[in-house]
Amino acid sequence: MKKIGWIVLAILLLPSILNAKEGEVKIKIQGSTTVNPVISEAAEILRAERGWTIYVDTQGGSSGGISAVGEGFVDIGMISKPISEADRNKYASANFESFKIGIDGLALVVSQPVWDSGIQFLSKKQIQQLYERKILNWKELGGQDSKVVFYNKEPGRGTWEVFSNWAYGSYKNSPLVAHPEVGANEEAKNKVAFHNSAITQLSYAWAENSERIKAIGIQLPTGESVMPTKETIMSGEYPLSRSLFLVTNGKPTGYQKEFIDFILSDRGQELVKKYGYLSVR
Amino acid sequence: MGILVFVSSKAILSKPTFPFSVTGAFSLIFTLVSLLFFCGMALFLLIQGSPIFFQEQLSFITDADWFYRINQYGAASMIYGTILVSFLAIVLSLPFALGSAILTSEFLPNSIRVYVKSFIELLAGIPSVVYGLLGVLFLRPLIFKWFAPFSPESGDTLLTASVILAVMILPTVMSLSEDALRGVSKEHREVALSLGLTRLETFVHGVLPRAIPGIIAAVLLGLGRALGETIAVYLVIGRADNRLSDSLFSLKPLFEAGQTITSKLGGSELYIAYGEPTHWSAMIGLGLILFVFVGVIVAMGEAVNWLGRKYQHG
Repeated sequence: MKKIGWIVLAILLLPSILNAKEGEVKIKIQGSTTVNPVISEAAEILRAERGWTIYVDTQGGSSGGISAVGEGFVDIGMISKPISEADRNKYASANFESFKIGIDGLALVVSQPVWDSGIQFLSKKQIQQLYERKILNWKELGGQDSKVVFYNKEPGRGTWEVFSNWAYGSYKNSPLVAHPEVGANEEAKNKVAFHNSAITQLSYAWAENSERIKAIGIQLPTGESVMPTKETIMSGEYPLSRSLFLVTNGKPTGYQKEFIDFILSDRGQELVKKYGYLSVR
Repeated sequence: MGILVFVSSKAILSKPTFPFSVTGAFSLIFTLVSLLFFCGMALFLLIQGSPIFFQEQLSFITDADWFYRINQYGAASMIYGTILVSFLAIVLSLPFALGSAILTSEFLPNSIRVYVKSFIELLAGIPSVVYGLLGVLFLRPLIFKWFAPFSPESGDTLLTASVILAVMILPTVMSLSEDALRGVSKEHREVALSLGLTRLETFVHGVLPRAIPGIIAAVLLGLGRALGETIAVYLVIGRADNRLSDSLFSLKPLFEAGQTITSKLGGSELYIAYGEPTHWSAMIGLGLILFVFVGVIVAMGEAVNWLGRKYQHG
């Protein structure tokens, strides 16, 4: 009986012993679902080529990434908005270094039927009215007769912060609303796609080329309207563009630095483009 | 072998001998550690969660105005959502759970019974995120379509969450109720049958009344599970803050997005709260409320169960 016990124990412990030997390179990454596809594929590549172990997690979005880096739980954070003063104050002991790895547009996307009924661009004022529930039916904007359902990105998500900064000057001034909330990009996208009269804020790269959702244009104060496309985002003509970052606590060293260099290299930037974002070069 | 001997000789159990045997010492240590975990958790929730009760006082549980950016915390809509969703889940699952419990315990031959029961119990082993995803894929569109006359905003409603929860707690309620029904001793059935009662009458008058405490306990334990479920609810409830209808008995909120305590705690707001004492305390305060809810309900369940057993055997 005792012998069997020892054997069982040995079998149970074996993997952890083996693991300890080979797993020297371990990088933990957490944050934005917008940045995630690029980083996850890079992680796959480095795993295959260099045998690194890289964990990528999107719990909590950008604020999750900042918090995890600030507390030292992970090596690299992925964020889809610039680090703000508030973030720095909150983690006063941390010394955030951010690395711009790509550019993305932030699109307002509507369900296909809304687009088909004629809502193809909106002004900032109209978007504010939708957000504040002053416009409750698409009819008021010349569209179909159906309720407006605004899926708001959860506060704490980079997308929400970028949107609020644009619409209200600073996210701190954005009005207190009670919309249904969505978290990850996948969730936002699917919820609008499977709805007939919804709108949400979504990364442009995720809205591009997808069925059943459409990214609407923004009408500028001059009266002309700009559709989000790679060109307009690049030129800055489309007002809602943002940079994507990797962030570390202090100057990156060792494998941390190698990973960031890989993302900034030609191959890394190819991945950025592959997922619909704009390269930083 | 050792365990069998230990269990069968009741004398050892009732009169612990000194010095302790190794087995006894280990059991004692592990029990104490589990207890310590419980106390530590309760203490943590109390210490970190109490500041919000000093700031907001009763309005923390009576107001529906959770706006952390202006430092206002009222959790009423989440408490309401939690109670409504869990309660409705029980109401929805009870007929199915009880029905299958009665069928399996009373009317199925033993050879089939085992399979039916284990299949239903298998439902309990499915990870809750799978339930959530099934809800997203199938249930949300259905609810949106079927309840179109009530003009729901979308398929993410309190009702959707309740239906998912109902399926999730079905195995718990079914299995425990079935145990309760089978726990009624053979003599009661035989006496009833020998008096000329039909099988149905035997069940209704002889078996069911004696199993009631066990069934109540099953329901309460199911409710405890429903209260604490997070991810499945999170995926289908819509997560809209501060929706509280004017009338507590209005059915309208069922077809609207809402929030439960768990769906709030599962979101990314926890990361924003981290490091900001008041906001953090408000989040932990929510945890404390849930902890008390679940604690009371599970304790009630255990108490009813215990009383029931005492009544049956004593």
